[in-house]
Amino acid sequence: MSMPTTPAATASLPGAVGEEVLRATGITKRFPGVLALDGVHLDLRRGEVHALCGENGAGKSTLVKIVTGLYQTDDGEVVYKGEARHFASIQDAQAVGITMIHQELNLVPHLTVAENIYLGREPKKGWFVDKKKMEADAQVYLDRLKVGIRANELVLTLTVARQQMVEIAKALSLDAEVLIMDEPTSSLTESEIDRLFEIIHELKAHGVGIVYISHRLDELRRIVDRVTVMRDGRYVSTRNLADITVDDIVSAMVGRSLEEKFPERSSAPTDEVIFRVAGLSRTGKFRDVSFDLRRGEILGFAGLMGAGRTEVARAVFGADPKTAGTVTLAGRELSIASPIDAIEAGIAYLSEDRKLNGLAVKMSVKDNITMANMAAVSDRFGFIDPPKERSAAKKFVDLLNIKTPTITQIAKNLSGGNQQKVVIGKWLFRDSRVLFFDEPTRGIDVGAKFAIYQLLDKLAHDGIGVILITSELPEILGMTDRVVVFHEGEVTGILETRKTSQEEIMQYASGVKHMFR
Amino acid sequence: MAITETGAPARKSNIDRKDLIQKFAALAGLLILVVVFSMTSNAFMSMSNGVTIALQTTSIAYLGLGATFVIITGGIDLSVGSVLALAGVVAGIAAKAGVPVSLAMCAGVLVGGACGWVNGIIITRMKLPPFIATLGMMMVARGLALQVTGARAISGLGEDFGVLGNGSFLRIVEEGANGFPKVVFPGVSYAVIVMAVLAIACAVVLAKTTFGRHLYAIGSNEEAARLSGVDVNRTKIGAYVLSGLLAGLCGCVLMSRLVTAQPNEGVAYELDAIASAVIGGTSLVGGVGTISGTVIGAFIIGILRNGLNMNGVSSFIQMIIIGLVIIGTVWIDQMRNRR
Repeated sequence: MSMPTTPAATASLPGAVGEEVLRATGITKRFPGVLALDGVHLDLRRGEVHALCGENGAGKSTLVKIVTGLYQTDDGEVVYKGEARHFASIQDAQAVGITMIHQELNLVPHLTVAENIYLGREPKKGWFVDKKKMEADAQVYLDRLKVGIRANELVLTLTVARQQMVEIAKALSLDAEVLIMDEPTSSLTESEIDRLFEIIHELKAHGVGIVYISHRLDELRRIVDRVTVMRDGRYVSTRNLADITVDDIVSAMVGRSLEEKFPERSSAPTDEVIFRVAGLSRTGKFRDVSFDLRRGEILGFAGLMGAGRTEVARAVFGADPKTAGTVTLAGRELSIASPIDAIEAGIAYLSEDRKLNGLAVKMSVKDNITMANMAAVSDRFGFIDPPKERSAAKKFVDLLNIKTPTITQIAKNLSGGNQQKVVIGKWLFRDSRVLFFDEPTRGIDVGAKFAIYQLLDKLAHDGIGVILITSELPEILGMTDRVVVFHEGEVTGILETRKTSQEEIMQYASGVKHMFR
Repeated sequence: MAITETGAPARKSNIDRKDLIQKFAALAGLLILVVVFSMTSNAFMSMSNGVTIALQTTSIAYLGLGATFVIITGGIDLSVGSVLALAGVVAGIAAKAGVPVSLAMCAGVLVGGACGWVNGIIITRMKLPPFIATLGMMMVARGLALQVTGARAISGLGEDFGVLGNGSFLRIVEEGANGFPKVVFPGVSYAVIVMAVLAIACAVVLAKTTFGRHLYAIGSNEEAARLSGVDVNRTKIGAYVLSGLLAGLCGCVLMSRLVTAQPNEGVAYELDAIASAVIGGTSLVGGVGTISGTVIGAFIIGILRNGLNMNGVSSFIQMIIIGLVIIGTVWIDQMRNRR
C-alpha cells in the first residue's frame, strides 16, 4: 500500500492528462438467477470526470464494485495503467490507487476524523500510534478541502455532508489515481456541492481520473467530460457531454424518449379544507407551524435540509412528541400520542428513508402491504386469513403496477421504485385519508419516478390529502398546488405554486423573505 | 404513457431454494448424527433410548421455543435457566405446603411468566438492552430461588409431583413369567406430548397470527413496524412473557422428573435454548426463524449429548463438541447468506 511519509497534497500524478488510466472490457457478472452485467465496457482517462449513468438496476454499482475489487468478474478484463489486473479485494485496488467513496458512508462514528482517515494504516512510533503525526497529516488533506473540519473532531458530531468531506479527504490521503464517487451530492447542500465541485476540478487538474455516478443529471454539466450510459446490465454508449443534451442521456438510459417529467394534473383543489394543522410546535425543532390542506390538493413542503419539514410530519403522525398545537381531520380535532392513533384516524407517513423506517426488507411484499392493517385480514382472535391476505396484496400489486415475480418475494430484492410502491400500497390498504410523502422519489430511477407522480395525482383526484415533502424544487413546481416553505423550524411562506418560481421559493427557504413577520 | 422498469430481478426460485437448503442442512445433520451413532453404539437405536432422547430434549425444546420468539424480535433472553429454577422451586414449595400439584405447577409457570413480563417491561419501558435486562433477571431469579430454599433441595413432594416428568401415555406393562413387571411398550411420556403440542401451537402462532407477524416485523425493521402502527412494546413484552412461561413450564417438568425442587437446576440452560434456535436457522439479528428449525436444533443437541454419552465420551469433550457444532452451523449459515 502506498503510504506517503508526508502528505503530497499538491503533487501531480505521474502520466499525462488525457492518457488512458483504466479500461474495463467485456465485464460480465452473474448472480444466481440473474445476469447482472453482460459484456460492459468502461474506459477512463487521467484528469477526466466520467459520468456513469443508468436507471436503478442498470448495473452501475456492480460494475464499480468489480473495478474496486469488491466483486470478481466472471468474464472480461480490467486493465489499469496498461496492465491487466485482477483485484481480489478492496485493499488490493486501493494499494495501486483505485478508491471509492460509497453512497452509504463507511466511517466509524466513535473515532476522530484523523483516526478514520488513517484507519488500518495508522502511522506508528514504535509499537504505538503516532497520534500527533496522524492528526497533522490528516489536517493537511482537510485544509485542502477548505471545509473547516478539525482532525481531532469525533465523526459522530459531524453532519452527513461533512462526513462526506472526510471520505474525500481519506481518498486524497490514499493518493488515489482513480476515484469513484457514488451519488456524492445526494445529501449535500448547494454550497457544499459547489465546494465539492471545486475539489473535483482540482483533482482533475492533478490528473486524477474520476468515475462519477449520479441521478442528478442537471449537475453533470458542471463537472463531467464524458458519459457512459448503461441499461439492464448492458453497455449502451459513451459520449462527450459537450455533444449531447440531458434528454439524450435520459433517452439512452430508459431506451425511449421521455417527453414529460411530470404527468398532467387531473385534479384541482376545491375550497373544502379536509386537514388542518395549527400552532404545532416541538421545542428545539420547529415552532408555531400552521397549514391546511384542501380536497383534491397536493400540498408541497419545501425547505433546505434541517428546516424541520420531516420533523413536522413525524410530530403530526405521532412518531415524535409535540409540545403544542392541534391537528384537525375532516372537522374533528384529533388527539395523537402515537403512530397507532394517527393511523387509526387515517393519517399515513411515508418516511424519507425507506430501508430505515418504511420497509421491513426481510419480509415479503405481501407482509409489508398488510402490515399496517392486519385487522382487516385476520379474525378477532388474531388468526390471519391467508386467502384474504393474498387477495389484498395482489390487488395493490396490480393497482400500483408493482414489478415483482410473486407477492411472496422478499422486499429487499425489489428495485427502489417498486419498494416505494409497496410502502404506498401499505397505506392505501389502510384507507388512509391524508398521506405525507417524505422524499418519495429519492434514489428512484426516472421511469419509476413518473409512476409515483401519476400515483400522487390519482390520490389527490380521489379526494385523498397528499402532502409532498421534497428537496427537488422541480418536483414542487411540477406536482403541487400550493407550497409551504420552511426555514429553520418556521413556516416562512405559503405560496400558490402557479404564481411562484424556484427563485422565490429559495428566498423563503433561506429566510430572506418571511410572509408572517 | 407506458412505464417500463428494470431492477426487479426474478430471484424468487433462488431464495426458496436457499430456504430449503437451510431446512435440509439441519435435518440432514440430524440424520447423519443418528446414522453415525447407531453404527458406533448398539444401544443407541433402541426403543428405550429413543424415549430417553425425547425426554432429554424436552427441556431444551421448551426453552428453545421461547428463545425463538424472543430472538425473532431481535432480542435475547438469558434469564430462562434461572427462571426455570425459581418456577420449579415455587411449585415445589406450594406442593409441599399442601396445594394440589396441578395448581402448584400452574403457580410455577405463572411465576415464570411474571419474570418474563418484568424482562419485557425493563426492555420496553426502561429501554435497556435485552442482554442487560435478562442478564440481571438471570441473577435475580437464581438468587431468589436460592434464598427462598436456603439453597437446599426440597424433597418429599409426593408421588403426584413426579407424574408430569416421569409418567407416560399408553405405557403397556405385563406381568412377566417371573412375576416382575415387564415393559412391553414404554409409552410416550407426558413431557414429550406437551412438547409436541407446544411446538405445533407456537408454529401456528408464529405463522398464522398477527402477533407472530408483528414479531417478524419488529425483528426485520422495528421503526418501520412502529410507523406502521404495530404496538411494538406490547408485542415485545408478549415475546418475553411467552419465553418466561415456557421457562416456568420447563422448570416444573424438570423438578417433576427429579421429584425434588432443586434451586441449582438449569444452570446455563439458556445457552442450549439459544443454540437450538440458532442451529435451526433463527437469525440473532432478528426477523428470521422458524419453530420447525428450532425443534430440529433441539434434537441435534439432545442426540449429540445422548450419542456421545453412549460412546463413553466425557462430558468435557461433549462441551467442546457442542461448542464446535454451534460455531460450525452459524458459520455455514453466514457463508450461505454471503454472496
